[in-house]
Amino acid sequence: MKFTYNWLREYVAVELDPDAVAARLTMLGLEVDAVLPLYPSLDEVRVARVAALCQHPNADRLTLCDVEDGSGALRRVVCGAPNVRVGMFTPLAVPGTVLPGDFKISANKIRGELSAGMLCSEQELGLADSETASGEIMDLDPVEFPGLAPGMPLRQALNLQDTMIEVDLTPNRPDCAGVIGLAREVAGFSGLPLSKPVKIAPLLLQTAVTDRPFAVTVATPQCHRYTARLLRRVRVAPSPRWLRWRLAAVGLRPINNVVDVTNLVMMEYGQPMHAFDFDRLKGGRIQVRQAGVGEKMITLDGVERQLTPEMMVIADDKQVVALAGIIGAENSEISSQSTNILLESACFAANSVRRSAAALQLATDSSYRFERGVDPQVAPLALERAVQLILKLAGGEEVVGGVDYRGGAPDLPILTLRLSRVNNILGTDLDLATVERLLAGIEINAKRLDDQTLRIVPPSFRVDLLREIDLIEEVARLVGYDFIPTNMPSLTMTLPTLATGGALREKVRALMIAAGCHEVINYSFVNPIHRRSLGLGADDAESHPLALLNPLSEEQSVLRTSLLPGLLENVRHNINHQCLDLRLFELGKVFFPAGVDLPREEERLAAIFSGRRYPGAPLLWEGETLVDVYDVKGVVEQLLAGLGLGSGLSVWSMTATRKVKPYAEIGYSLALTNNEGKILGTWGKFRQSVLKAFGIKQEVFYLDLGLDLVGQIDHQVNQVELTACSPESSAFAPLPKFPAVKRDLAMLVPDDVEVGEMLMVIREAGGKLLDQVEIFDVYRGKHVASGRKSVAFAIHYRDATQTLNEKKAEAAHCKIIALLSQRFHGQLREAR
Amino acid sequence: MKEELQRLRAEAEQALAQISRADELEPFRVEYLGRKGRFTSLMRGLGQAPADQRPELGKLANEIKGRLEQAFDLRQEQLSGAEVEVVKFPDLSLPGRRHPAGADHPVTRVMTEVCAIFVGMGFAVVEGPDVETDFYNFEALNIPPHHPARAMHDTFYVGEGRLLRTHTSPMQIRAMEQARPPLRMIAPGKAYRCDSDITHTPMFHQVEGFLVDRKVTFADLKGVLSAFISRMFDGKTPIRFRPSFFPFTEPSAEVDIGCVICETKGCRVCKQTGWLEILGAGMIDPEVFAKVDYDPEQYSGFAFGLGIERVAMLRYGINDIRLFYENDLRFLRQF
Repeated sequence: MKFTYNWLREYVAVELDPDAVAARLTMLGLEVDAVLPLYPSLDEVRVARVAALCQHPNADRLTLCDVEDGSGALRRVVCGAPNVRVGMFTPLAVPGTVLPGDFKISANKIRGELSAGMLCSEQELGLADSETASGEIMDLDPVEFPGLAPGMPLRQALNLQDTMIEVDLTPNRPDCAGVIGLAREVAGFSGLPLSKPVKIAPLLLQTAVTDRPFAVTVATPQCHRYTARLLRRVRVAPSPRWLRWRLAAVGLRPINNVVDVTNLVMMEYGQPMHAFDFDRLKGGRIQVRQAGVGEKMITLDGVERQLTPEMMVIADDKQVVALAGIIGAENSEISSQSTNILLESACFAANSVRRSAAALQLATDSSYRFERGVDPQVAPLALERAVQLILKLAGGEEVVGGVDYRGGAPDLPILTLRLSRVNNILGTDLDLATVERLLAGIEINAKRLDDQTLRIVPPSFRVDLLREIDLIEEVARLVGYDFIPTNMPSLTMTLPTLATGGALREKVRALMIAAGCHEVINYSFVNPIHRRSLGLGADDAESHPLALLNPLSEEQSVLRTSLLPGLLENVRHNINHQCLDLRLFELGKVFFPAGVDLPREEERLAAIFSGRRYPGAPLLWEGETLVDVYDVKGVVEQLLAGLGLGSGLSVWSMTATRKVKPYAEIGYSLALTNNEGKILGTWGKFRQSVLKAFGIKQEVFYLDLGLDLVGQIDHQVNQVELTACSPESSAFAPLPKFPAVKRDLAMLVPDDVEVGEMLMVIREAGGKLLDQVEIFDVYRGKHVASGRKSVAFAIHYRDATQTLNEKKAEAAHCKIIALLSQRFHGQLREAR
Repeated sequence: MKEELQRLRAEAEQALAQISRADELEPFRVEYLGRKGRFTSLMRGLGQAPADQRPELGKLANEIKGRLEQAFDLRQEQLSGAEVEVVKFPDLSLPGRRHPAGADHPVTRVMTEVCAIFVGMGFAVVEGPDVETDFYNFEALNIPPHHPARAMHDTFYVGEGRLLRTHTSPMQIRAMEQARPPLRMIAPGKAYRCDSDITHTPMFHQVEGFLVDRKVTFADLKGVLSAFISRMFDGKTPIRFRPSFFPFTEPSAEVDIGCVICETKGCRVCKQTGWLEILGAGMIDPEVFAKVDYDPEQYSGFAFGLGIERVAMLRYGINDIRLFYENDLRFLRQF
């Protein structure tokens, strides 16, 4: 809602400057978005009087003008306007002035003659649309603008010293969608009287009679009030400058004196109005009704609209002439030929206008107001104001016999306001007299029921006041939020529950950060093409994402079923920006459709690794070594160990789960299962074809793990349990009392034996005495027969109850050697 | 004999002074001070000297030898110090052998900080689904279909009555459905609106919070949120509460802090007002209580919502919200 400071002052004689008014309005809940002085570029423009003219020696269409500019001397300017004449007052822009459109005036020679400035047209000054440019300079009429004198600042001479103020109205305050509504608030805080242009509307007949020049019938309950009056012999013409400028200042385009008046009154009272060309209404009749099936109209914006019976329309005998409360039709539009005008000022139900406007995707200044609620009592006042202005500006005469239909406007509520409730909600200690006084300031009048209670019938313009709490809000707003004390609540102390995977997520995040990964956050919606890029089959759940019905773009049109595509996009983005060494991770939700239920939301962890092994580590020590599959496995192991889920191989069976996703490189990727065989996630290397689809030319490794599976997260309630995967006991183990005995052994085994299997055999054979085992070498080559490899282990034996003697250790060692030899066709290479 | 001793001393001292490299030290030692060196052979001749001069000559010879050995040691020390140090000590100006840790996303970091402050005031943390029903996201929050307030929420739909939540406020309803007052809760999470420009991304993060009990007042709302702001920002940051409108709170407030960029003088970031909007808040509307079967005559409470990106932008001076979701390492590394 835009208005100007001078406009506001027509209704309330506030003395505060525009910024101060804006500050007060903001603190009343009418947030001011902008305070802009109008026509700031006209500061330098002055009034000049043309003293003498002569023909330009080198150009037929140019005139040399000597003008009085207030300095006492004459100034010579070159002018091309046909209407320049001696004695005329006109705006002068002197060299150095910058006019709208960044048009800088300088002293130039024009066809050989020096011009010390420019005489300006309305368009050049930004005071009129360039569409209507006529090439004429402004001819200032001393009658229209009294007191003109050469040298006078133009803004002062034309009364343009004003400031535009824009309020960002909240949807509950349609009463402030008119300058009078805002003036009421100003009157409230300043204690000044509010003066409205029309105080009492003339009484109009409520029902149509036959000998009237026109009739109105209302055949829908959605029309709460319909007032209309007829004016004859009106001269439609452009509006006077003050009216055009006022509308332009608040962002409305001037059209003609009739339409401009309806717009001015709308901005003044918040009452949308419409003017029909009466001679184009068939049958001289107005019907307010619901549209018929298949009915159509061409609206004022030139678009043909298909109407439905849900939409309320204004019609004559033959056709629809307006979409009620939204926009008029071309067929009855006011034109320069119109002479008989029917003015409408009505109140249409908010819901009806809202639905029609939404269905047609039409938002107008009129629908904006009706959707939020227009005061049904203001229609005749606004109509009277418009009639007076049109008669004044466009002449003509009023035809006696207006119409005032009053339909089923909802009754005003009768509210009870308890002082105790006010103070209990606000935490204040206000007395009843203060509450009464505050409310009365904005025309909310109360009757005392007792010394604690008020009975209030809210004024009709405050359609938002329906409950006691609405009045309490008014009290809070008017007394000022600054006035309300600041206090800490006193509540029973409780142990707060900490939510839903929060602890698990934090732990995972910390472990991933420690592993050198940077956290990313990607959008929850992705490109559906990812399914193909990843090579997912139709039977894969990840191939069936939930689609947005109204996406912003195809790239963001489905909810993600995996975090990996987002991370791959991040890889490409970073490589494109020359960051080649990447360790990134994301913790986030993926979504799977679940029929009529809300989709299933799963929390996942995913990470990618690419480029150098340790991004950001000094090249001197780490060289150019690239990340490989064991780096990823290391992160997986560290992560699981950090979560107390076993250190790598002990709990997590790696061998049984070679079934991996189609985007994973076979032989370089594994699924991760718990000891119940449930797949928790996968890790490994992306296939070349996938990387190509994402435009990536270097190897990328990944990890993708379901957090819900690691810990059970319940999104509805508030619980996380890390029980799903039977984590190792977190109980303390006593420190060993007796020393360990260390033995090494190297076995020659066939090349295809998996060392992990050997480890399991060692653990099994070593039994209780086995304390620790580590692989320290895997060797193929010289001194080892082809097709075989040497695997070396360091094994620690320890007896928890006594010092282990060499003999017992040796026995255990031999047992391991024997079992390894037997199971893997192994051959002892060396034992120490 | 005495002269010979003095001559040898002078000669040796001169030779020693001319030595500039450590490897020249040993030949010098052999020539002058060694077992077969010139000094030793001169000392051997001491037996032939007259007996009465022997004690004096012996004392002198010992003195000279002692001095020469001292001078030799000093020279050796000087020369070895100059050369060997380079070889012996590591160059500590070389980089350390480090494997840098990663970092959390700035949005996560601010989110964690915000939650910690409220948890410190006894608030529990709850979370809920990103895909919501129209009921939880709108209707239960007193935003009926076609309400003009829906225009403030550009909603992504995924089906009939199914949508991406436009705020984290639905958690008020979900939590109140399951528990009775007193309640103190925050609900952090993602929210979505179809909007994309320099200050809006279609996905963003919010922390919703609410406190419900008997006799909770607007003054309490001011107290808790002021405490939060003074911890989150500088304790001296000015705060202002300003009337506003939300369908699910009444009275409603917007909470502004003094612009941290221009210190309330007025700049582009605060649109020349000197203030930055940071929170929406208000007393929970009786209609909302009715939806969860709380008696508004018995209970009252306040709710608030905070945009995390906005706080992170102010905290780190970030001027384009979209940077958060480009996940450019050059950006992420700065946190």
